[in-house]
Amino acid sequence: MIGCYDFCGHYEWTFEWLNQLGGHAFVRAYWDQAIHQDSQTHASKLIREKGFEGMKEYWGPTLADEGALYERTVTEDVFRIDMHGCPSKGFLLNNGLEQYRDYCDHCMGWIGPLMKEAGFVIDHEHNHCGQCWWEMRRRTDSTPESAPGALSGDSDVRLRPDWKSVQTDHYERSTDPDDKMAVS
Amino acid sequence: MAAPIPASLPYADTKPVGHADFYFAVNATFRFIQRHHGEGALIKYWQDLGQSYYQPVSKRWSEFGFAGVADYWRAFFAAEPGAEVEVSESQDEVRLEVKTCPAIRHLREHGREIVPNFCQHCFFVNEAIAGTAGMTVRVCGGNGHCTQRFMKATADLAPQKLEDIATAS
Repeated sequence: MIGCYDFCGHYEWTFEWLNQLGGHAFVRAYWDQAIHQDSQTHASKLIREKGFEGMKEYWGPTLADEGALYERTVTEDVFRIDMHGCPSKGFLLNNGLEQYRDYCDHCMGWIGPLMKEAGFVIDHEHNHCGQCWWEMRRRTDSTPESAPGALSGDSDVRLRPDWKSVQTDHYERSTDPDDKMAVS
Repeated sequence: MAAPIPASLPYADTKPVGHADFYFAVNATFRFIQRHHGEGALIKYWQDLGQSYYQPVSKRWSEFGFAGVADYWRAFFAAEPGAEVEVSESQDEVRLEVKTCPAIRHLREHGREIVPNFCQHCFFVNEAIAGTAGMTVRVCGGNGHCTQRFMKATADLAPQKLEDIATAS
């Protein structure tokens, strides 16, 4: 049986299997069709119908169940997550698992299309070490990403001494996993 | 730091049991592969997963025989939320009596459409793991409860009949 205990391990392995079968477009289709539109229909429904409140209702229990170390900051205009210990990437790092070229892309791969459908855009960075931050705003809101510490104070993951890594990916007002820019 | 887990599992998490909503993604992955590339591709996915990702399990079964198989499944189901499974070991086989399949249970509880051949993954994945350890598996039942027998692979053993594995719903 394929279990849920080590899900992140076979999930990551699956990305590369799909990549070998159908290339990058097929992996993107998997994140959108299988994860966003099928597996995560409960998240889509909550966020489409309730906006920021739906994000709270989805990510609160989910990240708790997954064992994430994170802080959440919510105002009337933005939903921010500071992920200090990603349970998913952490599982891979702890177990030395790496088949696919960039596991972290999968989050933007399914959350991006979901947010696009629900009318939001995303500012986001991940450092491939199990830390990242997300800011979701309405598409009509042109406010840029917050400065480090301005929105979530001391909880801002960008203030960690170990935040900077050799490979940090950056997204600006995006909903597409291929929009990333490398941060030097 | 990862929580202590039985050494019979190849990968360690920081929490004692998995997050059941991941069964949604397992089911969706099967549906996606089958929809785009057909049943043959889905079976190949299961076989490749068994031979590659689960290679450490095969290695352990090769090394420890039936005791390794039984230890693995006891640890495995202890980490799957909602599983009710009896594992027994005899001279000839390791038998799993799956009284409540945690995946089928969770998918049903949340009203998810289950891929009809969902239960076949247990045969194809487990057979791939067992094969390189000189063993084979036979699955009977499914759709929430089944029997799985792990035995030494011998020429006189009848092959698995896929019709013995129930359609999931």
